[in-house]
Amino acid sequence: MSATSRAVPLSRRSAAVLGLASLAGLMMLVWPLLLRVPEGTRVDPPFLFLVLLPVIVAVVLAEVSEGGLDPRVLAILGVLSAVNALARALSPGLAGVELVFFLLVLAGRVFGPGFGFVLGCTSLFASALMTAGVGPWLPYQMLVSAWVGMGAGLLPRRLRGRAEIAALAVYGVVAAYLFGMLMNLSSWPFLLGVYVPGHESSLAFVPGAPLGDNLRTFGVYTLLTSTGGWDTIRAVTNVVAIVVLGPTVLSTLRRASRRALVTGEIAARPVL
Amino acid sequence: MRAARQPRDLHPVAWWVWAIGLAAAASFTTNPFTLLLLVGAAALVVTLRRSDQPWAGSFRIYVWLGVAIVVIRVLFRLVLGGAYPGTVLLDLPEIPLPDAAAGIVLLGPVTREALLAGLYDGLRLATIVICIGAANALANPKRLLRSVPPALYEIGTALVVAVTVLPQFADSVRRVRAAQGLRAGATGRVGRLHRFLVPVLEDAIDRSLAMAAGMDARGYGRAAGLTMAERRRTGALMVLGLCGLCIGTYAVLDSTAPRVLAAPMLVLGVLLAMAGLLSAGRRVERSRYRADRWQWPELVVMAGGLGAGVLGWWVGEQEITIAYPDLVAVPTVSLAVLAGIALAVAGGLTAPPAATAASRAGRSAVFA
Repeated sequence: MSATSRAVPLSRRSAAVLGLASLAGLMMLVWPLLLRVPEGTRVDPPFLFLVLLPVIVAVVLAEVSEGGLDPRVLAILGVLSAVNALARALSPGLAGVELVFFLLVLAGRVFGPGFGFVLGCTSLFASALMTAGVGPWLPYQMLVSAWVGMGAGLLPRRLRGRAEIAALAVYGVVAAYLFGMLMNLSSWPFLLGVYVPGHESSLAFVPGAPLGDNLRTFGVYTLLTSTGGWDTIRAVTNVVAIVVLGPTVLSTLRRASRRALVTGEIAARPVL
Repeated sequence: MRAARQPRDLHPVAWWVWAIGLAAAASFTTNPFTLLLLVGAAALVVTLRRSDQPWAGSFRIYVWLGVAIVVIRVLFRLVLGGAYPGTVLLDLPEIPLPDAAAGIVLLGPVTREALLAGLYDGLRLATIVICIGAANALANPKRLLRSVPPALYEIGTALVVAVTVLPQFADSVRRVRAAQGLRAGATGRVGRLHRFLVPVLEDAIDRSLAMAAGMDARGYGRAAGLTMAERRRTGALMVLGLCGLCIGTYAVLDSTAPRVLAAPMLVLGVLLAMAGLLSAGRRVERSRYRADRWQWPELVVMAGGLGAGVLGWWVGEQEITIAYPDLVAVPTVSLAVLAGIALAVAGGLTAPPAATAASRAGRSAVFA
């Protein structure tokens, strides 16, 4: 293991907790595709999940920081969350350009998956607190952006130089589209309503329909509403920011990580 | 008794519990009158109890967001109406899309029922959003961060750092600009951006490392170590709790699974996860500076919100025609609904008035 992946160490137990929590979170995100109910029952969007998801996020964060975080790592976590929150606050002013993922991806790459996960959560939470924008959507956003940060940390470590920037840029595109799609999937039945038997409403979620049908309806919905606009803009911003600023920011972050993660031992030496 | 009702900030957790109770009540109904009454209750309490701090103005944004949600929902019904049986209000031509687009038909006859269904459902989500907005406007976010559970102590500290470090960026930006104004450098667009961004970022990281050294010197991170057995118990509780949540979530969605695996499993999972959080929090030993105290108005506010939530759930279970009204008749409300709203308003107004600049000035004048 290189020195840079130790910012927030993930033990085997933490990895298990993270995996289980991700599974539960994913089920709550893609619930429309899992739902199976008897014919003719009334289906309401499960508002229960909006309460359960924060519990899951809290458990993972508690587990990841269980061994205690180094103050230097913690300070960098705080500062990077602030930068991310600032970037997010500035973004809507720039015609829907989303700058949140750019630093999240680079920091996840440099400081490792555990740090990326925590940074994804803290960035979104900090920005929501600062703009008083806490809402039912927040836990979903926190979870998915935590995955984005973690995924960046899991990219192959030996890539360096141009190959690294290229890989990060591709990852940025994939992350932008996946983020948009998962957020759409979680809000789709809430915003468009649930299909009621006997009442046709195209594009709404049909409980109990075959997986393929619902996926197709959702595909059209997400294509119509966001893939053409928001998600593509976000993907393009990610690529441009990573290619233009990536190399310099990466080296800045690497310098910081060397200073934040260096530890030494003071060995007792016999007095002469 | 009197002192508890002097102008002061209520404990932020109490406001959040109150608002979540109202949001829960909204989630159990599509009755437009109930929902509007809930919005009215939230708006009344926000108007009478908010402070003059910057976050207190955010309620308006949430109300507009709620309006946008309702409009989007109704528009979707209009554009993607399809054949919704009922009284036709407006006969628009149908525009079938090609088969590749899942055979969707745009426009088509607009029925009163279609619009009402969209309106009711949209209103429910909008009410939930507005109730959460009330909590955002009423609760002090900085104080909220101080009441994170001990298990999330480090994460909470990182968030406090994030919130407090922001003003430093403005200072950093000014210094970097001033320094660069004095000497030549890259003039291209990208070059200028690099020249500006790198020093600001470096400065921020330098400051954070200096602050970390300060925290280290003051004894931060000297957590009381847990024994191996305690750590193992924490891990087991968390893993089991998450397993319970996974199974419970799946069973809630798949109604062919045994019912014992659904709600009971979710409750068990949440309880185990909470126990895990408590157990993980035992390693942190710290004292609080000027802790927010829980006094009786806090408890009454929470009880009001929770009472509204419980009554909302009861109406959803027992008076289905009132909670989910038919689209062809005018919806009605029952005594239970009104009692819930009254609880929400009474609970919220039990809170002492928020400390404002005027009340603070008055107080210091008394002490002077």
